[in-house]
Amino acid sequence: MDYNFAFVLRYQDALLVGLKMTVLVSLASIAIGCLWGFVLGMARGSSLRWARALATVYIEFFRGTPVIVQLFWVFFCLPLLLGIELSNMASGIVALSLYMGAISAESFRAALKTISPDQHNACVALGLSRYAEIRYVLMPQAILRAIPTLLSNCVSLFKESALVSAVGMADLMFVGQNISNATARPVEVLTVVALIYFVIAFPLTRGVTVLERKVLKGLAV
Amino acid sequence: MMSTNTSAPLVSIRGLHKAYSPTVQVIKGIDLDMHAGDRLVVIGPSGGGKSTLLRVLMGLETIDKGSIAFDGQPYIQADEARGKTSIDTKVRNSIGMVFQNYTLFPHLTIVENLILAPCKSRGEKESVAKDRALTFLTRFGLRDKATVYPSQLSGGQKQRVAIARALMLDPKLMLFDEVTSALDPELVAEVEQVIQQLALQNLSMMIVTHDMWFAKNIASRVLFCAGGTIVEDGPPEQVMGAPREERTREFLSRVFHIGA
Ligand SMILES: Nc1ncnc2c1ncn2[C@@H]1O[C@H](COP(=O)(O)OP(=O)(O)OP(=O)(O)O)[C@@H](O)[C@H]1O
Ligand SMILES: [Mg+2]
Repeated sequence: MDYNFAFVLRYQDALLVGLKMTVLVSLASIAIGCLWGFVLGMARGSSLRWARALATVYIEFFRGTPVIVQLFWVFFCLPLLLGIELSNMASGIVALSLYMGAISAESFRAALKTISPDQHNACVALGLSRYAEIRYVLMPQAILRAIPTLLSNCVSLFKESALVSAVGMADLMFVGQNISNATARPVEVLTVVALIYFVIAFPLTRGVTVLERKVLKGLAV
Repeated sequence: MMSTNTSAPLVSIRGLHKAYSPTVQVIKGIDLDMHAGDRLVVIGPSGGGKSTLLRVLMGLETIDKGSIAFDGQPYIQADEARGKTSIDTKVRNSIGMVFQNYTLFPHLTIVENLILAPCKSRGEKESVAKDRALTFLTRFGLRDKATVYPSQLSGGQKQRVAIARALMLDPKLMLFDEVTSALDPELVAEVEQVIQQLALQNLSMMIVTHDMWFAKNIASRVLFCAGGTIVEDGPPEQVMGAPREERTREFLSRVFHIGA
């Protein structure tokens, strides 16, 4: 059997469209998921017992169930429960954002814990509202301090995003699968698809280590 | 509406009680009137409730009994029946505080630290606030540090910035809780000098310090607090020079002995 990787080039346009979809869904889910994760992280460290409990249950549930089950649940069950029809794309982003919220919440909680409670006293003494305190004091520091772990969360999400192909979204994985079925050349096509994922994810993983050193050094109080 | 009347005390504390838990009674009945321009220094043994008193005044703590009026206005009230404390946050805005630990925001430059509250909670224009901030920094000898981050400052410089940050809000009363205790000895003087500067401008302040020489120099009035009550209250020459109470004498002989 001889392999011909060059023929994959003929499908580069289709693969590119798929990659765009993958990147779009990932970025949207990362943005929404991080905001949601920050809220969950705050709730996790809150002094309100019910907020802590709710956030804990949510996070454990989403981390303890397969992402593909969550995805199918959002696709098939959520519309039935809410009585509204969501587009494929919207469902994919909702499902992945819910997951991203759960995995980034721990990163935010850990980062928030490193912010000294003295800063809260200072905020009160300066007359800052709770909103201003969160927006201008807590959130920027939590994000900065969480960057290293958030980046690995992002890499995980980017890889997990391939699951949306299972519900018919035309992402990189979906396009690759179609080409591989149509041409009966799974080895070449799927290898190329894997390489594309790797080429994007790998620098991000590396970047984590570099950033970790730089960011954390700058923040030493 | 009660207008600010010249004879009304700036701070008026009545029957203040505060416990952190049923077994940790920290303030056990304090009555205190402080007048505008007073520089009240609070001294006393560790655990006597000095920090707690300042934190209560800053509106950082709930109280169990009593009330506090500020500048003739009701400020803090204990609602004993419901176990709640009401704090008027508008009144609170006239009070500033500097803490023992550095509380600068590490992700903001020095100038950004100074203008955050004026811009974000008082709606001051950024350019105006910045000008004022630079004036303060120049006055405190920190003009060249405006755009650096707190991590690049010495402890003494951080405390001077913290004082400037509080002054940006134009407080009628400043609270200082052991602001030099975390500093290396050679950095204490630069911070105390800044506070002396404010004293010259007649700013009302309440200072907790373990530095008895500084206390003697800056105070217009000294409180000796122990066991959650005010044991002795009077001018510095009297309380520190010729204390009436045995507990004050005992405390002073101990600290001056160690300090000397
Ligand atoms: N948040 C808190 N929770 C429980 N107990 C507290 C808390 N803060 C202070 N205490 C206790 O209250 C008492 C008075 O504390 P406070 O800090 O007011 O004393 P202080 O006079 O400032 O002492 P020092 O000179 O050591 O600073 C101490 O016994 C302390 O352990
Ligand atoms: Mg104290």
